[in-house]
Amino acid sequence: MKRVLVVDDEPAIRRLLSHVLERGGFTAAAVASAREAMVELAHDRVDAMLLDLGLPDRDGLEMIAAIRATRSIPIVVVTARGDTAEKIAALDLGADDYVTKPFDGDELLARLRSALRRAGSSGARDSALHFGPLRMDAERHQVTCRDESVALTPREFAVLEALMRADGRILTHAALLEQVWGKAHVNDIDYLRVVVRALRLKLETDPSSPTLIRNEPGIGYRLVDPA
Amino acid sequence: MRGTSASYLLAVTAVVIVAAVTSVWLQLLGTASAALLFLLPVLLVAPRGGVGPALTAAAGGALAYNFFLLPPRFTFRVHGLDNLVSVFVLFAVALVMSRLATALKTREAEAEARASANAAAAEFSALLGKGEPLDAVDNALAWLGRDYGEARIVAFDRFSEQQETGFSTLDLSAAAWAMHNGDRTGHGTAIMPAAEWTFLPMSLRHRASTDLLALARPAGGETRNELELTQVQALARLLGQARDRSALDEARRERERLEDRDAFRRTLLASLAHDFRTPLTVVTGELAKLADTDEGAAQALMAARRLDRMMDDLVGAARIESGALSPRSEATDLIDIVADVREALGEIPASIRLVQQVGATLPLIEADPVLLRHILINLIDNAIRHARSTVEIGARAAGQSVEIIVRDDGPGIPADDRARIFERFARVEGGDRSGGSGLGLAIARGFADAMGMTIAAEEEGGGGGRFRLAVPAWKTDLR
Repeated sequence: MKRVLVVDDEPAIRRLLSHVLERGGFTAAAVASAREAMVELAHDRVDAMLLDLGLPDRDGLEMIAAIRATRSIPIVVVTARGDTAEKIAALDLGADDYVTKPFDGDELLARLRSALRRAGSSGARDSALHFGPLRMDAERHQVTCRDESVALTPREFAVLEALMRADGRILTHAALLEQVWGKAHVNDIDYLRVVVRALRLKLETDPSSPTLIRNEPGIGYRLVDPA
Repeated sequence: MRGTSASYLLAVTAVVIVAAVTSVWLQLLGTASAALLFLLPVLLVAPRGGVGPALTAAAGGALAYNFFLLPPRFTFRVHGLDNLVSVFVLFAVALVMSRLATALKTREAEAEARASANAAAAEFSALLGKGEPLDAVDNALAWLGRDYGEARIVAFDRFSEQQETGFSTLDLSAAAWAMHNGDRTGHGTAIMPAAEWTFLPMSLRHRASTDLLALARPAGGETRNELELTQVQALARLLGQARDRSALDEARRERERLEDRDAFRRTLLASLAHDFRTPLTVVTGELAKLADTDEGAAQALMAARRLDRMMDDLVGAARIESGALSPRSEATDLIDIVADVREALGEIPASIRLVQQVGATLPLIEADPVLLRHILINLIDNAIRHARSTVEIGARAAGQSVEIIVRDDGPGIPADDRARIFERFARVEGGDRSGGSGLGLAIARGFADAMGMTIAAEEEGGGGGRFRLAVPAWKTDLR
């Protein structure tokens, strides 16, 4: 059973998160401070962590950076709504994903599972990818959706491949733009919007109510399994 | 005056004494030595009494010498050139001595005046540097009042209000002149000397507009002299500098106060956004565990989620209020926003159907996606609370913009209320069924304004409420 470290200074939240984790089949270990969290991490008994950014003894962002300097353990950040910049900063520093308070338990488990899948993958770039109804052969540039072949332009393919490799984790707009268009275009968000639209027209059952490629306003895109 | 008559008396007395002494001992002294002794009264009187008493002593001495000592004695007849020379020398010495003495005295008086002016300036400076700047200025004015006559400050920026305060028309003209030209005017000066007050600029001449020190005419009808004017002018400049310093201090304090208030607001906002959500997360999380099996818990969960949206509204209102909004402007797909809004609204009452008519091929729009999301949540939440059975969100391209329409089949908004409902805590009479925050539409308007969008409540054909939000279309070419 995977052991997940919950770092939150609020006892009721620790209790709630532990309950959600146990319901999802994880073992929960809860601590109240950054200091205790670092001790737990040092003992190497942790498979993933849920980190509240508002800890009393250390800045959450700084802590992500410190952990990432030595460890690639999955980190899902728990944050308040409205802090768009804080979420992006956390993702940029290497957090795998975030949930917003007040969060939904199932959503939290889904985020945690895809973060763990990322960590569990061998690191080699598989050429056969799948997510929900999507199948991709990255080498042959072939995509099927609900078992039907879909013709994609190179940009559309590149964006979809990045999202499928993220495997349900969020990719910031800037990260997607950099991967597909290059560093010079990290602010050209309209490129991305146009390509995502085209993808939706080809992949979504109702392109005006997308359920597969989801946007989080101000942050980025992720794939969601509509099933 | 008294000093001068005393000098004349001294002159006469000294001459009488010398005349008496020389008369008695004439045989012993001889006339030449006796003549020399008559220089003594002149030397004695000249430094103190000046030219008048000195000449008196000289004339008296000459007469007495002539009358009592020069043969023929006890007559004023003069025999011989040497006697005439004695009298002439006596006069010449008297004149030179008294001139010298007067020059010395003038210089001494000037030095004294300078010293007293310096002492006054030093005392004045000390007074201005002591205590609170405003008190110090008052103390300095009182000090001037004691030494120079009633003193006031005429402030440039409040000049029009001060016109009633005991100045005559001539005084006011003099003040206006001094203010705008930087000259000293009024009593004792060359400009409008008939005025009752003297007006002295408090800042340097090159400044176009200056506050003034007004000094009342000295009591007893005396005219204020140039020396005193120069002295007071220096004090007026000191006063001006002190006031400038106090204005700077005041500005600094005001800035610090504003910064404190902003810091408080930011802290409050952060605390609302952050700390309040933690207990709310516990409430929704615990309720969510029960909601599947317990209808009451499901209702409570919906209420808690509404509370969360109200928190968003409160934070939004505070951001609008404090001017802390700095909207981003980025290419945005309305489809994304609407999908996210529907998810954020969560479960809606079973009696309400939410219809979405937003085409997947509308132009991209230019907006701050987070603010636009909040506007749409509030419009749809408002519509759900007023609808009978249906809420519809639609959008269409209209020239350079995209119009978003949110409508419901509720009672609608009376024409008179359509502008008012965007005010905070506005309620339509008899129209509101259940509690919103009372801020929702005000925030929609505030955010729309911040992004340069227009929002309006409109007439809906078949009754019901209808809101139109016009959002600019994304302008650059789509590549």
